[in-house]
Amino acid sequence: MKRWIGVGLGLVLVVVVAVAVVWGNRDDDGNGGRELVTVRGVIGSEKQAFFDDPQVKAAFARHGLRVEVDVAGTRQIATSVDLGKYGFAFPSSVPAAEKIRQDRGAARTYAPFYSPMAIATFDPIVDLLAKAGVVRDSAQGQVFDIGKYLEIVKNGARWDKLPGNTAYPARKRVLLTTTDIRTSNSAAMYLALMSYVANGENVVSSPEQVPAVVETVGPTFLDQGYSETTSEAPFEDYLALGVGKTPMVMIYEAQYAARVFAGDGSIRSGMRLIYPAPTVLSKHTLVPFTPEADKVGDLLTRDPEFAALAARHGFRTADPKAFADLAAKHRAPVATELVDVVEPPAFARMEELIAGIERMYAGSSTPAG
Amino acid sequence: MRRRAAVRTAAALALAAALTLAGCAADEPEAAEGPPDGPGVLRVLAGSELKDLEPLLATAADQAGVTFSLRYAGTLDGAEMVASGGADAGYDAIWFSSNRYLSLIEGANARLSTQTKIMASPVLLGLDQAKAEELGWTNKQVTWADIAKAAGEGRFTFGMTNPASSNSGFSALVGVAAALSDAGEALDAAAIGAVTPRLKEFFSAQRLTSGSSGWLADVYAAQGGVDGLVNYESVLLGLNRKLPRPLTLIYPSDGVVTADYPLTALASASPEKKELYTKAVNWLRSPAVQKEIMTRTDRRPIVPAVRPDSRFGTASLVELPFPNRRDTADGLIDAYLNQVRVPAQALFVLDTSGSMAGDRIEALRGALVTLTGADTSASGTFSRFRNREKVTMIPFSTRPGSPQGFTLPGSRPEPVLAEIKGYAEGLDVSGGTAIYDALRVAYEEAGRQLAADPGRYTSIVLMTDGENTDGSDYEEFERFYRALPEAQRRVRTFVVLFGESDVAEMTELARLTGGTTFDARSGSLAAAFKEIRGYQ
Repeated sequence: MKRWIGVGLGLVLVVVVAVAVVWGNRDDDGNGGRELVTVRGVIGSEKQAFFDDPQVKAAFARHGLRVEVDVAGTRQIATSVDLGKYGFAFPSSVPAAEKIRQDRGAARTYAPFYSPMAIATFDPIVDLLAKAGVVRDSAQGQVFDIGKYLEIVKNGARWDKLPGNTAYPARKRVLLTTTDIRTSNSAAMYLALMSYVANGENVVSSPEQVPAVVETVGPTFLDQGYSETTSEAPFEDYLALGVGKTPMVMIYEAQYAARVFAGDGSIRSGMRLIYPAPTVLSKHTLVPFTPEADKVGDLLTRDPEFAALAARHGFRTADPKAFADLAAKHRAPVATELVDVVEPPAFARMEELIAGIERMYAGSSTPAG
Repeated sequence: MRRRAAVRTAAALALAAALTLAGCAADEPEAAEGPPDGPGVLRVLAGSELKDLEPLLATAADQAGVTFSLRYAGTLDGAEMVASGGADAGYDAIWFSSNRYLSLIEGANARLSTQTKIMASPVLLGLDQAKAEELGWTNKQVTWADIAKAAGEGRFTFGMTNPASSNSGFSALVGVAAALSDAGEALDAAAIGAVTPRLKEFFSAQRLTSGSSGWLADVYAAQGGVDGLVNYESVLLGLNRKLPRPLTLIYPSDGVVTADYPLTALASASPEKKELYTKAVNWLRSPAVQKEIMTRTDRRPIVPAVRPDSRFGTASLVELPFPNRRDTADGLIDAYLNQVRVPAQALFVLDTSGSMAGDRIEALRGALVTLTGADTSASGTFSRFRNREKVTMIPFSTRPGSPQGFTLPGSRPEPVLAEIKGYAEGLDVSGGTAIYDALRVAYEEAGRQLAADPGRYTSIVLMTDGENTDGSDYEEFERFYRALPEAQRRVRTFVVLFGESDVAEMTELARLTGGTTFDARSGSLAAAFKEIRGYQ
């Protein structure tokens, strides 16, 4: 219920550039003085920095386009945002995009870039988790074993009770920090990969499988206590406040990679990026509703200039070269090949899983006695 | 019968709504209206602890083209106002020490747009150096369990703000409860029940309370009286520059709760204001401003490009989990007020002289009735007379009336609350204004109560609408007060300015007793009384 009320107001209007400025400078836009065609889209917040990037705007302008975006949660885009106002929707997952395509009768979708889910953590934490069997070696280096993780969460593991732990003797539960599952796509992606493991290494495909999976994975969200609503907030805590506040946080690989590629010093020694096994890909998928939006999708997908810009923001693109070159140049600790990747459940199943956990939030309200 | 009940309910709801809106600090302009608007003005509803940023924010107009215009409200009051939409018309953004409590209120998240953290400060224990050395806490890791044990053994005393009025007290309560609970995950209702005995141990050492972090620090600097304070790291560091002997900051190794000060655009803000918000955030997070924040206000920078300097030490701060349900958060505050804390003795010295006739006595009756549970907002619920509290009414006119005491039981307080309500509604007016004779009676009564129960937190509220006309004068009272035994002199008088109060003399009186004044001349009397409850 709350979700529905919140939607219209929850939209964040991103003011790109005041109209006057763009019009006033249109001769500098490199499109020979033609008037720019404005295309409005609603996007997941992870792509806001990309669309705000002056170089991205200039690149669109060279193609006669001005792209304005509003930001909303991927779930909101798929369920409750009034898409009639927009030329395109650009959610952060395939299931959401597929639902929108069907609802709106769009002819096709574009998947210009993607990012695997990853974990930002610290060397001593990785060592501890390795001793506890949660981090193990694999063909692509050390990975975070989701099956083992669910096991220790079930047993209520606490940092200070891990064997041989002198590095991080915190009296709190061993829990990956995530965003709020009720509002955030990165948490939903995390739920998707956990649900695969909790469902006996199978994608959740029927409503009958949902309750047992919810029971297994629910505590990984609820026991964290309060969680933030956007994926940038806990990652920022990780960067600024360090291991005490956020020993390990579920993020998009792009968040970490963008910081490394920017060389801004925010990734410091002792910080580590590892991948969950299995992981899922957050495939940013554009659903066009107008011919101009079709052009946006096409440019993002096929134009090497946009691919290079997307890579700078940490995204992987159809042509892997742009990302790989940057990773090599900055010696970024990113996986060259992602091996253990699973598919997220269909949109309806994801909704059922999230609704199940939502009910757990509501249910635990009953006071004892 | 049923219909009358419905009317009463409606009236109570209307009252609660009005009180919620009026529930700003009594010495501030009404928060609900919002500050004046204009081009380039970002109207911000803020927590009062952000006042120390004002000089820095003033430079944003030149540097970033943003004129910050701040109005202040208490944490719970502000949260309820925002969640109910009461801030939408008058404000573009909010800025409290944390959005965590706010986000637990049903419907609140829909009112909020982008949230951006600006800085950070953990809530810690600052302890007098000598005491910290005596306890052996200067060179070793100390846990909240160590602190609670020493507190329970009476080895030190401390001051902390009221968790229902101020975020530093609330954060400390959440942190201590999480740390003392054996669970390690976020607290729930059952865990609160289990941890209550250990919380009692810890809070048995609390000897000073306050509605605001700043006042707590000021009182400590001016009067001491306790061995240390639970407060923001930033307040403790700032305080240390004023103290002859600095406080030793204890960073509990099992964790803290950290304020992260998210500047948050309201969803209702116009596109122009949201653009302004983005400018404001970019400016506040620029490395130069982050450094200024650190240097001027002792808060930790939030952008990774600016590293915290040596003032913050090297301890790694473990963050304790924060409840994810409102009833858990409220249950914790409720347990603190009604079961855990040292119970209070509150004496109310109330002007019932002829000049109080009409609206004024009505306002006084209403303000007292508010404290008997009539205000059902969260901030109202938490300001009511508490379980185990002893409440004494001393009405006065030409002469002091006889003190009327009410003792609330440890549970089921409703019958006694009803008695207080009946008493308040029966207050009548006539005669002159013998302020100081009445105050003498209050101090004598406080002395008797303290002799019977020395551990209680005892304070006096004086509410008068005019100058002293009968009985002893201020000088005589001052002589009387100075001759009192120390335990009685420690009883603070909080003065409500109302009507034609003699502001200079009342301020002097508050200062004499270590109390402070609350201005109800322009705001509502009920709001002032609610605010004072944070200090009792």
